[in-house]
Amino acid sequence: MEKKFMLGNEAIARGAVEAGVKVVAGYPGTPATEIVDHCAQFPGVYAEWSANEKHAFEVAAGASLTNRRSMAVMKHNGTNAAADFLMHINFTGVRAGMVLISADDPGGLSSQCEEDTRILINSYAHLPVFDPSSVQEAYAMTKAAFALSEQTELVFALRPVMRINHAGGMVEYEATVPGDRSPEFVTDRKRFVMSAVVEKESGGELRPKMRHRWLNGKQAELKAVMEQSPFNWIEPGEGDTGFIGCGIGYAFLKEAEQIHGAKLPILKLSTLPLPEQKVLSFVKGLKKVVVFEEIEPVVENLIKKMCFENKIVLEVLGRGNYLPQEGELTANLVLNAIRSALADKPYEAAPQGKYIPARTRTQCSGCSHRGLLIALKDVVRKNGGIVTGDIGCHDAGTFEPMNLQSTIFCMGSSIPMAYGIKAAGFAKPVYALIGDSTFFHNGLTGLASAIYNAADITVIIAYNSTTAMTGFQPHPGSSSNLNSRINPMDPGAVCEAMGAKVFRCNPYSVEETIAVITEATAAKGVKVVIAEALCYLKFGRDGQISYVPKQVKVDAESCNGCSVCVRTFGCPAITIINNKAVIEESACNGCGVCVFVCKRGAIK
Amino acid sequence: MKFDLVIAGVGGQGNIVASQAIAQCAMDAGFTVVNTETKGAAQRGGSVLSHVRLADREIYSPVVPHGQADVLLGFEPLEALRYINILSKGGKYIINMAPVPTILANMGIDTYPSEQEILSEVAARGLTGYRINATQAAKELGNVLLTNVIMLGAFTAIADILPAEAILHKLLSMVDPKFHEADIRAFRRGREMIAAQL
Repeated sequence: MEKKFMLGNEAIARGAVEAGVKVVAGYPGTPATEIVDHCAQFPGVYAEWSANEKHAFEVAAGASLTNRRSMAVMKHNGTNAAADFLMHINFTGVRAGMVLISADDPGGLSSQCEEDTRILINSYAHLPVFDPSSVQEAYAMTKAAFALSEQTELVFALRPVMRINHAGGMVEYEATVPGDRSPEFVTDRKRFVMSAVVEKESGGELRPKMRHRWLNGKQAELKAVMEQSPFNWIEPGEGDTGFIGCGIGYAFLKEAEQIHGAKLPILKLSTLPLPEQKVLSFVKGLKKVVVFEEIEPVVENLIKKMCFENKIVLEVLGRGNYLPQEGELTANLVLNAIRSALADKPYEAAPQGKYIPARTRTQCSGCSHRGLLIALKDVVRKNGGIVTGDIGCHDAGTFEPMNLQSTIFCMGSSIPMAYGIKAAGFAKPVYALIGDSTFFHNGLTGLASAIYNAADITVIIAYNSTTAMTGFQPHPGSSSNLNSRINPMDPGAVCEAMGAKVFRCNPYSVEETIAVITEATAAKGVKVVIAEALCYLKFGRDGQISYVPKQVKVDAESCNGCSVCVRTFGCPAITIINNKAVIEESACNGCGVCVFVCKRGAIK
Repeated sequence: MKFDLVIAGVGGQGNIVASQAIAQCAMDAGFTVVNTETKGAAQRGGSVLSHVRLADREIYSPVVPHGQADVLLGFEPLEALRYINILSKGGKYIINMAPVPTILANMGIDTYPSEQEILSEVAARGLTGYRINATQAAKELGNVLLTNVIMLGAFTAIADILPAEAILHKLLSMVDPKFHEADIRAFRRGREMIAAQL
């Protein structure tokens, strides 16, 4: 055994590689992104960024059917995008061991929503889920999941939360990689062709029903596996109130127990399905249990069902009826709940804290999005148009001081929502603002739908050649994939081929961008403006920037302190000191976009 | 034995480097170490909190619970205030008193609290510690980017959990040798700034 300090995502990658994973596919998404990057560093492992999570899942499935272990990596939103495939591969099962990493983000610290993908994967698709409580366990579970997947022929899922993905800890690991096996594809249409086919041997029943029966039949096997699992255990303690820690909930429970200072009866549960006998043996003699889990009352409800079926009278408290129903667990929350439960009192939420001035996210100094946002804002201020937004760094254009996009939902929503607004009869122009990576992820089909239905909208693609928000992963519009240099797919050429009228501009030139968007607005049909400029933060390091840097200064004589530059623009390099705009030289990257903002000409 | 440290700052101030130097040094010394960072939007001027937990036994939560930190290093006063409740009653803070204004405060939507307001909020909780102007000292040493090294040096003046020299060596091993001389001076300067207040 070797020992090394590693982040949760590195530990998951290592576990997969030590289990013999050969094909890894994902789409970037906090907090799961680094898993794919780490896998790519191991020799003999094919890793890729797919265009979206559904395709990543499908790539991994193709590899599994070809007898090689595979893994699909995504965050919770991605699992939603892949849900259609999930609801088929559960019925077919897999050949070589296959693992799905579905990282949840309780509290939505880096997400547009918070959700519990255990529901999608286990309650809905009836596939097994491991919920790690530590970095060490994330490693061990990932590794174990491959063998179990192969044994049961089912996809195994790991549901780490952000506090596991992004936590660092000491990991003991084996540092061995099993021998490779040769790729082999054996056609088995009865399993891998999911269609409403009549099954003669089953008395003429249809295949979907037969495969559903197969999946339901697998549940007993899974329960037996979980009953023996080393990831669930009982810790004896004092009193007739028991505490159940699931995944990271167990970590917070143990932390709270130490502060509380007395040994509590604890059941640690990290698997779905639950180990029923273990749960029943734990609750024997207890009057009450409190379940700590992220995010929804999944285990809590299963235990209630188990008690009902076994005629056990037990008070089961948790996120459904006792603890806060939203947001992240903390050790303090758990401690508070332990004290309340032991005193037979309702859980008392901590009082709302006093507001401390927030640091809102914004575009970096020198970011090309800021030029695009201010240009588009100028256009819609004059014509009363609406901008639908999408996911990516440009989404900060919805915050103060830009206040530009009126909607943000999920990947690719901007385009169909924009023409939905027109379909409802909105007379003024509507713009969909989307990034390049998001466009290739789930924007293409929305655009096809818009063009097919003869919509009249202007789509603006912020083409900065990288997936910037998650840490600069390449995408189909970049000049490389994870393995080699490629010819980038130009989104403009793609849109043109689809039948859109395509316009181009450099967003660092604000006047030019305004003119181009205005021209596009006046044209009929689906127009696409490609606002092309490299991501400053990624490419600026190598001296590749899409503007001519200039030394921007404020002429204190001409500045009347109106602060329009701060109130409407929000570049982090500009502040107002003693009633005059000041550009902090160390923070300014010389993009010069702010020159446009000052109508007095004080910024030069 | 356990020791919990949190470092609060603004993206770009270098608190992750500082926390990694301490974490790696603690591992060399044989402690169990767990850490995490809340960063997400850090590159874009957001609030960043680093947690470093050391113990001679198992550590469960990667996040330091409220009321448990032995030391809070505030690289920026508003960020120190934001996370001050993590400090334990007997813990100590070191706050760099140079403010980094927020966008909303610049716009007049929020008001950045005065130094007096921040200090009285902290004092109202019965917490004690040290205030230094590390940003100013870093500028005097010729580079504002030395602020985190000054804060790291200051930390070693109040916490004897790890030898100061070991932390300095660990830090130097993580940075380009051409910065070593400046880093050593900044580290010593941080120690002196606290020593002057002891």
